[in-house]
Amino acid sequence: MNHWIFNCKAVTRMVSESMDRKLPFYQRMGIRMHLLMCKLCSRYRRQLLFLRETIRLQAASSEDIESAIVLPPGARERIKRSIRNALNLK
Amino acid sequence: MNQENSSTENTALNPETWVDHYGDYLYCFAISRVRDPSVAEDLVQETFLAALNSIKSFASRSSPKTWLTGILKHKIVDYFRRKSREPTGDDVETAMKALEALFDEKGRWNIKPAEWTADPEKLYGQKEFMDVLNRCLSELSSRLAHIFILREMDGLKTDEICKVLSITATNCWVMLYRARMYLRQCLESNWFKPDSS
Repeated sequence: MNHWIFNCKAVTRMVSESMDRKLPFYQRMGIRMHLLMCKLCSRYRRQLLFLRETIRLQAASSEDIESAIVLPPGARERIKRSIRNALNLK
Repeated sequence: MNQENSSTENTALNPETWVDHYGDYLYCFAISRVRDPSVAEDLVQETFLAALNSIKSFASRSSPKTWLTGILKHKIVDYFRRKSREPTGDDVETAMKALEALFDEKGRWNIKPAEWTADPEKLYGQKEFMDVLNRCLSELSSRLAHIFILREMDGLKTDEICKVLSITATNCWVMLYRARMYLRQCLESNWFKPDSS
């Protein structure tokens, strides 16, 4: 099946690129036409947006989600010591 | 005197307490980006030392946490910049080759994307899912991971990423494409469709 001028490979690349910059008009139209007819590429696009959304949610809340991760005791002491040393040098 | 200051200002002006107040948060923040515990520890230490030197520039309008996080962000970008100067096996050609395999000669999907039934709001808090996502992220080459993290976690524009990592915009888009394709595939086979190979 010929989905207008762009094939899936080209569309997946342009869909990704459209998340990083504004594409030229003919590419936006070409993507839209292709997506209307191609279930797989529509899925792919939704999944990339899902990935972005999930990563952003994680980035915005590194506190609650990774609260299990704490600065290891050794590093904690080392960093405290280096701060004290720096303060003494002042 | 100190007692008249707000408690936030007290914390900011008392570096001895920084590690206890903000150490864990900054460490989490760093490790979610650099994914290497010892590098994350060093970056946190560098952040505190840099903060000591610029304590006069701290405007008490912003919270100490925001201020320290801002310094840490710069340290992370510096780290990525240093790493980008090291030669790696992964460049644009490698990325392109890996992408070739996903499509047939007519540019159709070789392995069809499966339907995912998921709502990011519900999934992102689930520890098991986040573990899979983080494992997939850690499988990216460091260059791909750095580009992807700067773009998606820190929301940098591609021209800013190009400047930091000294790559062209086109390379940057290809690398982001490769990273997304890889992560999509990895999530699909490890979470959404664990039975099929």
